[in-house]
Amino acid sequence: MSAVATEHTAAPLRTRGIVRANLPQGGYWRLALHVPDWTRFQPGQFVMLSPGAEHAVPRTDPLLPRPMAVYQAAAAESGGCDVEVLYKVTGRGTALLATARERDAVAVVGPLGRGFPLPPPGVRALLVGGGTGIASLYELAARASVTGDVRVLLGARTAQDLAIARDFAALPLRLRLATEDGSRGREGLVTALLADELASREPAVVYACGPTPMMRRAAELAAAAGQGCLVSLENPMACGFGVCLGCAAPLRSEGERAFGLVCRDGPVFEAARVDWENLA
Amino acid sequence: MSGRPPIAPEAVDTAVSLGGIALRNPVLTASGTFGYGTEFAPFLDLRRLGGIVSKSLTFAPRTGNLPARIAETASGMLNAIGLENVGVEVFAAEKLPALDPEVVVVASVFGTEMEHYAKVCERLDGERRVAGFEINASCPHVKAGGIEFGQKADVLADLVRTVRRATRKPVLIKLSPNVTSIAEMARVCEAEGADGISLINTLQALDVDVETRRPLLRNVLGGLSGPAIRPVALRMVYQASRAVKIPLCGIGGIESAEDAVKFLLCGATAVQVGTANYRNPAVAGEIADGIRAYAARHGFARVADLVGALDAPR
Repeated sequence: MSAVATEHTAAPLRTRGIVRANLPQGGYWRLALHVPDWTRFQPGQFVMLSPGAEHAVPRTDPLLPRPMAVYQAAAAESGGCDVEVLYKVTGRGTALLATARERDAVAVVGPLGRGFPLPPPGVRALLVGGGTGIASLYELAARASVTGDVRVLLGARTAQDLAIARDFAALPLRLRLATEDGSRGREGLVTALLADELASREPAVVYACGPTPMMRRAAELAAAAGQGCLVSLENPMACGFGVCLGCAAPLRSEGERAFGLVCRDGPVFEAARVDWENLA
Repeated sequence: MSGRPPIAPEAVDTAVSLGGIALRNPVLTASGTFGYGTEFAPFLDLRRLGGIVSKSLTFAPRTGNLPARIAETASGMLNAIGLENVGVEVFAAEKLPALDPEVVVVASVFGTEMEHYAKVCERLDGERRVAGFEINASCPHVKAGGIEFGQKADVLADLVRTVRRATRKPVLIKLSPNVTSIAEMARVCEAEGADGISLINTLQALDVDVETRRPLLRNVLGGLSGPAIRPVALRMVYQASRAVKIPLCGIGGIESAEDAVKFLLCGATAVQVGTANYRNPAVAGEIADGIRAYAARHGFARVADLVGALDAPR
């Protein structure tokens, strides 16, 4: 699989992704799609996926597509792109997605949003992922580790939720794990691993994606160490391309209230800009 | 009503006139679901549409509500965005010029006071690119301003009179469905000189997360849209069409050409596609094509002939 061009794409597409595989792995489901026409993808971008495969009778319940981080994307030999998405079955939309079979079609709008910029040369990348947020970090890890020093710190409740750590372990980077129940890696929160890494004081960029308290803590640790920090936010959204205004995330501001749209201005934001108090 | 022989789709005249706004076909996009149009350029040639209705504009820019602003419900969604918009100056200076000259643009107007509505209309009255106004009399989720303008007949009459004086362009009034008699509100609009009526806006609604025992929206109340409200919208269009002679623009859960045709049959001259744009950003163009195909299949040479053609028992 060759790499897909990494420039930011200005124009998303609406297309049908064809299901290649859709299988449970550890605590997640792993959906592999072939998406024709995609030529560009930036690490940290996302797609809007219809809640389940398209069928002969259109369905209006659940109504809206779901935003999903792109876990892996690579140019397909037949043209287009092979795209993988990780998800947890948490509601009706993801339950229906889990019933999609090989060769089913899933409506895809993407790639969407502003993803992660690669770290400047000579600067360490410290990737901090928690829970399903881990999915947003794989492509960044894969691309940044080709030339740079990358440390990946992944945390979850249990060892089962860290089954995908295997994918990261195959990359040329340093991987450290933490679980809340101590069943794998260090017992406790992944942010404790970040505190260790930041102690060295070498220039670094922290990239965080996971539960809000985890990202907020990562942002505090990075700020205290004088290092930059980017976070990938998640919010409910109806469209994914800046129209419904449902995904507005509060940003710090002096005067009037300010928002950034997670879909269009993000999902990646500088952590220092985020108004963590008012983030839903 | 059967027996009309099919005709060729190319032979169908799809043009309609909505209160003096000439549309190449009866499909517009609903305010608040289509941004300022340019956001849809990657997905859809806007010239395939009858027109677009802008996000509701206030005189000054507005930021919206704190999240959570939207939530999914059964075949619908709730929103309480808070009428966030760029303001009329940025709209005129940046958003309008970015659209292809062939795209018909209706400016949606909102204010928390009568005079604010008038100021927005006056500011855009000289803009050639604005084909007409749609007066949002019905946003139910903005605390400033208290009740909806469209909920009391005398307040609504005042509003229509105020905007009528502020512009020579066509004026459509977008009604609130949160009223006892939609026919009464429609008659008020007609009596005060409105050129047309758009209906319906979202239905005031509420939903709850039982695990947290919290409302789904930070604003507690929101507006319900999507297929869930379509039969309510059809009923109101039907009632309004029997109450007034000015043209109607039907809105509410339209997902397909068949849905749009239902609104035409119940008396709407044109329709707006809203929440469906989120599900499929190209859907409004598909609906426009589908209406032509329907008319051809059923032997209607003019789409305008479908308007009010409901075969209802007397």
